Amino acid sequence: MLTTFTHPDLSPDAVASVLTAAGFEVTAALPSHRVVLDTFDGRLSAAGLRLEHHRTDEMSLILRDATGAPPARLVGATPPRWPAGLPAGPLRTRVLAVTMERALVPLLNVRSQVHRAASRDRRGKATVVAELHEAVDGDGGTTWLLEVHPVTGHDDDDRRITTRLLSLGFESHHGDVATVVAAMRGVSLVGTSSSPTVALDPKEPALAGFRRVLGNLASTIEANRQGTIDDIDEEFLHDLRVAVRRTRTVLKEGKGVLPAPVRHRFQEVFGRLGQQTGPARDLDVYIVGWDDYVAPLGLTADPGLTKVRAEIERQRAAAHRTLSKILASDESRHELDEWRAWLEDTTLEASSSRSLGAVVAKRIERAQEKVLTDGRAIGPDAPGERLHDLRKDTKRLRYLLECFGSLFPSEDRKAFVNQLKDLQDNLGAHQDAEVHLAQLRSLAHDLHQRSVVDTDAVLAMGRLSDQLERVRAEERAAFAARFARYDRKRNRRALQALLDEVRHG
Amino acid sequence: VKTIATYSIKGGVGKTTTAVNLAAEADRAGVRVLVWDLDPQGAATYLLRVRPKVRGGSRRLVSAKGALAEHVRGTDLEAVHVLPADFSLRHLDVHLESTREPTRRIAALLDPVRDLYDLAILDCPPSISLASESVFGAADTLLVPVVPATLASRTLAQLTAFLDDQRDAPSVSPFLSMVDRRKRLHRELVDSLGSTWPELLTTTVPAAAVIERMGVERAPLGHYAPRSPAARAYRRLWDEVAAGLWD
Repeated sequence: MLTTFTHPDLSPDAVASVLTAAGFEVTAALPSHRVVLDTFDGRLSAAGLRLEHHRTDEMSLILRDATGAPPARLVGATPPRWPAGLPAGPLRTRVLAVTMERALVPLLNVRSQVHRAASRDRRGKATVVAELHEAVDGDGGTTWLLEVHPVTGHDDDDRRITTRLLSLGFESHHGDVATVVAAMRGVSLVGTSSSPTVALDPKEPALAGFRRVLGNLASTIEANRQGTIDDIDEEFLHDLRVAVRRTRTVLKEGKGVLPAPVRHRFQEVFGRLGQQTGPARDLDVYIVGWDDYVAPLGLTADPGLTKVRAEIERQRAAAHRTLSKILASDESRHELDEWRAWLEDTTLEASSSRSLGAVVAKRIERAQEKVLTDGRAIGPDAPGERLHDLRKDTKRLRYLLECFGSLFPSEDRKAFVNQLKDLQDNLGAHQDAEVHLAQLRSLAHDLHQRSVVDTDAVLAMGRLSDQLERVRAEERAAFAARFARYDRKRNRRALQALLDEVRHG
Repeated sequence: VKTIATYSIKGGVGKTTTAVNLAAEADRAGVRVLVWDLDPQGAATYLLRVRPKVRGGSRRLVSAKGALAEHVRGTDLEAVHVLPADFSLRHLDVHLESTREPTRRIAALLDPVRDLYDLAILDCPPSISLASESVFGAADTLLVPVVPATLASRTLAQLTAFLDDQRDAPSVSPFLSMVDRRKRLHRELVDSLGSTWPELLTTTVPAAAVIERMGVERAPLGHYAPRSPAARAYRRLWDEVAAGLWD
């Protein structure tokens, strides 16, 4: 485990002298640039991994964990945006297993002048290694930091230098230079969470709880806005869109709790934003699901389908450009600022004395009733729209359970949400196939009109259309069993128990 | 963790220099490596500048499962750790004999450290013994340096014949080592071995004074002669080996 030392009084030259006196060879300074990389939501950090790009006399990508394993370093690598673009090997495998579809973004840059130092045994092997970073841009001023790397099997040497430094008034900090600089600058290296859950008290006034939930969702929208504008990866739009939908649900369920003019105004704002984000997100899902659609056809490299995919990608890029303009506009900025101002207004008083727990329990009960009524009414011949409506019902229920999640016992809530998710997966796959089928037909028509495709592509679109229809029909056929599984007495009782807890709790 | 063993029945064919140079290439390729020096001469230990000391000797090393980590030492290659050898390993066969399932013992000893490394390189002594069988039980691939000599093909045939009778035997990847293209015999054997052994890797490591200097420099070739033909050959050998392990 790396340790970084600071000292309130000593200069870098004095630190170098301390190291020399302790038997270290200290090299001349080299310019150093370190970048901490992670996904926006901190997946590497959550998995106990730290990925840094170092540039000194050579470039390398370094992956560390806290297990006592040696670091993995890929020499010559440039900072990757997509882990899939790294050379094949264990480092790529380990990173990809955690980041999956997300891009890597720089969370922190540290520039300095670095002196390398090592204490060696009589065989000439390093037994402790250190790096003295000078001119580090910390909290506005420049400072220095001493990073000490223990060498496996040489614990005594590490203890010796640590004891020596502490006896001279050095302060030790857990972690490497980047960890210390992040703390100095107030930068988080654990990523940005899009979790809708905030701390709530069932006995607090409902207005306060609703505003806190909406405030957290507004922060998620804000956090993912720039990444969506820059189109870094599709998860920014996904998280922004989900936060918008959750906001709409909470606004809708806030009838009698939130002031009516505010509710109506922002239901319109977020309803519009939801519609504006739809086309780009649908096309994202199309691209992400493309391999799954195409693989069963055995046509991954089919030239006709390659042209179709290229056209979908072109449309996706156009949809994202349109969305970026909307999100970056003054109008959008103003609306979000206006929303934030209302959420942060400390002069507001609740017009109702109802407690949060009672209101939320009632709303969830109603949402569950709607899911059960609508779901039970869907027979084998019911049109697709009825499944779409049911999907909206399940989303409403799920968002309420998640946004007000801290009111419920965590494990019981998660267990119930998993049952709901099982039903949602079926409804989602059915709707995705329907949407993509409609898009494909529209695309085929459009391409044919513009005469930009050849026979191969038309035939390929026919095959893909058949495959999408198969997926749609399979999911439709699976619905009855999935819904029956959700509509079990055990599940219904589990939700009732959760609601009773909140009402009385 | 993937496990390769640099192995040959013959001595002086370049096993240890291969183990150390491949470890150095792996170090730069994002691979976390454990080099296990199983040769009582401790040449890999020496080249990596590690003290040749196995606490408690080979008896303790092979006796208690889970104890491997206490013997591991860091090296000057940041991603490479080494399990050093000392002279007590000359009794490795005897000590393996006294364990349960001696031919699976090395694999079992590696189990507790599997998550810490991506690659284990077992540097083996020149022999065919109980320790060798235990190596065969642990390795995915035997990397066999073959010196162009008239008996080379026969020695390789003996090894593959032996492995054919083993359950879960590792694959064998021979490659030509210490090749001197100025010698007519070497050139002829290089050509003929390639047609006899389709598994033969395409990389040929030359006989070179710069490789012999490793004993003086106590460092892999990449550290003191990175542009030498020999260093380039080991880089190509690593690419070939890594492609077989991870592509």
